[in-house]
Amino acid sequence: MTLAAILAPLLALCVVARGMGFLPVLGGVTAVAMLVDGVASLQETAAAFVLLFSIGPVWFLSYYQQDRGQERSGPTVPFFALGLMVVLLLASARSGAPQFPAGLCVVLAGLVAVTYRQAMIWQWAGLLTCINGVMLAGVIEKQVMVVGVAALAGCVISVLGGLYVHRVMPRVAVVRASGRKDADRKSKPAETRFRGEAPLPSDPVPAFGTTRLAKEPPRAPADEEGNETDKPAPKAEDDPA
Amino acid sequence: MTVPVFLAALAFAWPLLGAVVVMSAPTVRSREVAVWMAAIGCVLALAVFLFPATGAVAAGWDDDPVQRAGRVMLAFGLLLTVLESRDMADRFLRGLPHVSTALAGLACVTPDPVVGLGILEASLAYGVFVFGRPAGQARAGWALVRTGSVGMFLVLGGLLLPGASPSAGLMMACGIVMLAGLTPFGQPWREENDTFLFLPFAGAALLLSMRLRPHGGEAFDTALVAAGLASVWLTACAGRSDDGLRLFRTFPSALALIAVGARADVAALLFLCGWCLAGGSRSGRSWAARALACFPPGAPFVGCLLLLSVMSDWSWVFTVLTVAGILCAVVRAVPAGGFGQDIWPRDTAGRVACSVLVVTGFLVPLAMMLGAF
Repeated sequence: MTLAAILAPLLALCVVARGMGFLPVLGGVTAVAMLVDGVASLQETAAAFVLLFSIGPVWFLSYYQQDRGQERSGPTVPFFALGLMVVLLLASARSGAPQFPAGLCVVLAGLVAVTYRQAMIWQWAGLLTCINGVMLAGVIEKQVMVVGVAALAGCVISVLGGLYVHRVMPRVAVVRASGRKDADRKSKPAETRFRGEAPLPSDPVPAFGTTRLAKEPPRAPADEEGNETDKPAPKAEDDPA
Repeated sequence: MTVPVFLAALAFAWPLLGAVVVMSAPTVRSREVAVWMAAIGCVLALAVFLFPATGAVAAGWDDDPVQRAGRVMLAFGLLLTVLESRDMADRFLRGLPHVSTALAGLACVTPDPVVGLGILEASLAYGVFVFGRPAGQARAGWALVRTGSVGMFLVLGGLLLPGASPSAGLMMACGIVMLAGLTPFGQPWREENDTFLFLPFAGAALLLSMRLRPHGGEAFDTALVAAGLASVWLTACAGRSDDGLRLFRTFPSALALIAVGARADVAALLFLCGWCLAGGSRSGRSWAARALACFPPGAPFVGCLLLLSVMSDWSWVFTVLTVAGILCAVVRAVPAGGFGQDIWPRDTAGRVACSVLVVTGFLVPLAMMLGAF
């Protein structure tokens, strides 16, 4: 049992509590916990896959906007995961397992995240956490088939989750482009943009508002006089005629 | 290479070949081609059941007669799916039942159940890719990936724990229940197209659960029986509402899980036959509902008798609970006006399904008496 193997379940709890951001750290610690046991081909391959499945999705997500406001699950979810881990530790101690089941604790935390979190990104992080845990447990138990199946499942979950993100979430690049458009509009003269009840620049018919306001330069002094505020209304009816 | 080995290899490769042929055929002729390929696949599966590759030839590969008979049921399920479907323009959707049946059959026969789980995950991924391609289906596809992967990770976690320990058995049973799609624990499958992926997938999960029993121990058996009983009693309590009919779709797989837990493999095989031929979205038709409700003659009825005879030796309490649950579920799931008068269905698919159900119900006990199982 190493320090990395103890840190991995704690970082998995952080993924349950805070989301995708802790996944690369968890992947790094899991890879270290694998490589501490020995540097055979099984450990190296599994560590490479773990790093790929932990860093790749986070890097991919950096090109997309995060969906905020979907999450309704309470703050007790990480404690539920912690309770399940304690139950697992008690059960494995009772059945006489010699080692601390770090990988399975990580799997349990991931399963709790998948089950109880509503946001898709959080569920994706939970599934990738499960893959980290299964790979760690497979490497500790030296079961090649389990590591292989976990790698296959990791590829499937990464690709399908990435496809889902690509189809559902808006890209960050779109936001930057509209921001530039706003910046261009701000550089125009102030008189032609915001006057009175003029629509916002993002509204679909800004041209109508700007033309109407351009025809009404005397309205601004009329607004300042308190009693004559109703007068522009008939003028506005007359204007189209 | 001997003839049985060649037959076994051909039977596994045949649905994949069928998928390629069906996907490359023009849309007008695709259904006819698919029916022919599925029918030849059924004949091949039957041939593998009758002439197995035994002994040193099949070293490592599973050679259990119940598993071989289960693959015959999967092949007939594919034939029925193809007979029921219409001409489809989407090539991927056309080939999906063949691919999922091929992968389900392969998952049941691998030397290591862990590899079988990986093949099931690949099958799920392909199915989700095909289902999720149209616009607006991404979220439903993600729900399928999520639930299926959770089931697979639970089974893997149980396999990594020490064998025959209670925690390993419980985790594996929870995973198998999720993979088998047992309501209310399983997948949120949709009404349309669920037979394309769900029927072979859940059938393979049921067959895999028999092979996971040595590792799971007694806790695995008890948990499977408890989950099956919970599903049966929920079906009984839901009654004739829409919810009850939705629960009734997985009634045979609940009974099959009880049979696996009670170590009545032949009964589980008969329920699997009912699941592949009458379960899923077919359960709305009168002949299928009659078969699912364990009305004689038919494979599920014989399966019920076998299950109860085995369970009475295992535990009296569970036997009484199962009998009461089945009776309540059947009485409350029967429509208010009865099943209708059409015992013999009018369409070809229904006739094939009824014939196979009746013939299996007669032949399997006969083969059991002759010592085939």
